[in-house]
Formats: sequence, C-alpha cells, structure tokens
Amino acid sequence: MTRILCASLLLLFLGGCVAPPPVDRLASLRQPDGTLVWQGEYAFVSPGGDWQLITLDEDDYSLAFSKSCDEFFPCQSTLAYAEEPFGYSKDLERRQEEFFKRYLWASRVVFAAPHLEKSTFNGSPALIATIEGVEPVKGQKVWSKVLFGLRGERVVAFHYNQWRPASVPFDLDEVADFDRFVASFRFLKPSFFELL
Amino acid sequence: MEGHQRNLELYDRFNARVAGVSRNDITTLKYWSRDLGLTFPILSNVAGHLGIWFGAQPPGYPMFSRMTVIIDKQGVIRYMHRGSPDYHAILSQLKVLHAEEGVTP
Repeated sequence: MTRILCASLLLLFLGGCVAPPPVDRLASLRQPDGTLVWQGEYAFVSPGGDWQLITLDEDDYSLAFSKSCDEFFPCQSTLAYAEEPFGYSKDLERRQEEFFKRYLWASRVVFAAPHLEKSTFNGSPALIATIEGVEPVKGQKVWSKVLFGLRGERVVAFHYNQWRPASVPFDLDEVADFDRFVASFRFLKPSFFELL
Repeated sequence: MEGHQRNLELYDRFNARVAGVSRNDITTLKYWSRDLGLTFPILSNVAGHLGIWFGAQPPGYPMFSRMTVIIDKQGVIRYMHRGSPDYHAILSQLKVLHAEEGVTP
C-alpha cells in the first residue's frame, strides 16, 4: 500500500514537471481555414516558426511580427505591414526614396543604394526594394526587403529587416517567411480612405 | 508633417488648408521643410504666443507640444487633439465641415 502511495505521489510530482501545452497567442485571430484576421481589416497566414506578434505603440505600422535569438547581439528580425509607410508620394519609385530617408532613422543606419525590382501586389503594380545598411559605431548591420504596393490609391508597404553584428553573416532563409506572409495577405474591406 | 503632406489632396477635396506652426526660426524651418519635401506653409512663432493661446506651450519648455487644431471659416475651433495627429479623425471632421458648407446659404 505504501509503495502504491509513493508511486502515486511520484507520478503526481512528475506530472507537475510536465511542461504545459504552448499557448496559442494568435488563437483569437485564427479562422477555421487557418488564416489570421486582424481587426476585421486584413487576412493573412501567420509567418509561423518563432515569429511573435508584437504590440505596437506607434502609428508607423499596422501589424508586425518579431523574432530573435541569443547566440549573438543583435539577432533580431521584424516583419511588418504598414498602412501608412513613411513618405507621401503615390509614385512608388519616389515613395521608396522618401521612405528610406526615415526608415530605421533612430538606429543611425547608413544605407547603401537599394536594389529595385518591379512586381505586383493586390492586382496592381508594386515595387520591391532590398537594401543593406551598417551602424558603424556599434558595429551592427541590417538587411531589409520592402514591398511598396497599393491599397486603392494609397501606397502601403510590407517590410522585413534582419539585424546582425557586422562580423556575422545574414541568414536570408527566413526571407521566405516574409514572402509567404506578403503573398497570403489580403484586404477584407475597403480602407478608411476608400470610403471617405 | 509627412502625414499631412500625404493627405493634401484629401484636404483639397474638403476645401481645407493646412499650416504648421513651430517655435523654430524661419531658416531652420525652411531647411527642415525642404528636407521633408513639404509643400504647405510652416509658420515660425519664435515668441510662442500661438502655443500659449492654444494650450500647446508647456511652461518653461522651449518647444510646442504636438497639437492639431481645426478652425472653421467663421474662426471657430471645431477640433483639438493633443499628441500625434489622428488622421482618420481629422479627415472625418473635415468631411463633416465640408458637408455643413454645402448646406450653408
């Protein structure tokens, strides 16, 4: 009897050590078909993996995911959808110039000239810019990919960036997560500006 | 300010004009405005009385705090907002004012 009691207690004790099932922080957004719906405005497929939805306390972005690692510093990536990206021109080439004047400005990054590639998004012309920058004082670098597209007449943007120490190579495999996110993204209703 | 530049076409649609006010001097504002590519007027109010009138001048602080004010054609303040501009609210208010204009004899 004592043995059974001890075994039961041991099981109870070990049971307490079992890790709880992971919490699905996106559960409230998840639809039956697996897509996520954000504020009734956008539907998209989660970038998955270690990407965490982050809370934003500024107006620059509408939606963003972030991921990081502990192997070195900085080791952080962010992908975001911006309803009102920096700049003001409707012309995509001019808009990217205006955008990169302010993009990551607080990080004091010195950017090289972007590589531009024409594309399509939401049935309209789009522009993809890839760009690399360095922060020479801290010895850090950043790689970014930005897609400028249209929602109605307004320019919107998707951007991805990856921070690394200057001596560590970029890991561009995760750009595929960004590309999947963009490809899955769709608008569920006309924007505020389209209805104005 | 970039947001206002982005919305100029919409402000035109609602028969509204935008101007910025700052305590910086004219030369500073000229270069700042040029760098941002702003095409609407930025007014220099070094003495700071505009900020005091609108409650945007913190005591003992050399700059205005951010504030958006909408004034109608009769000179009546119809909207005030502290902090970063809420462009949806601004445009919605301008739409209301424009609609009122339409029914005014």
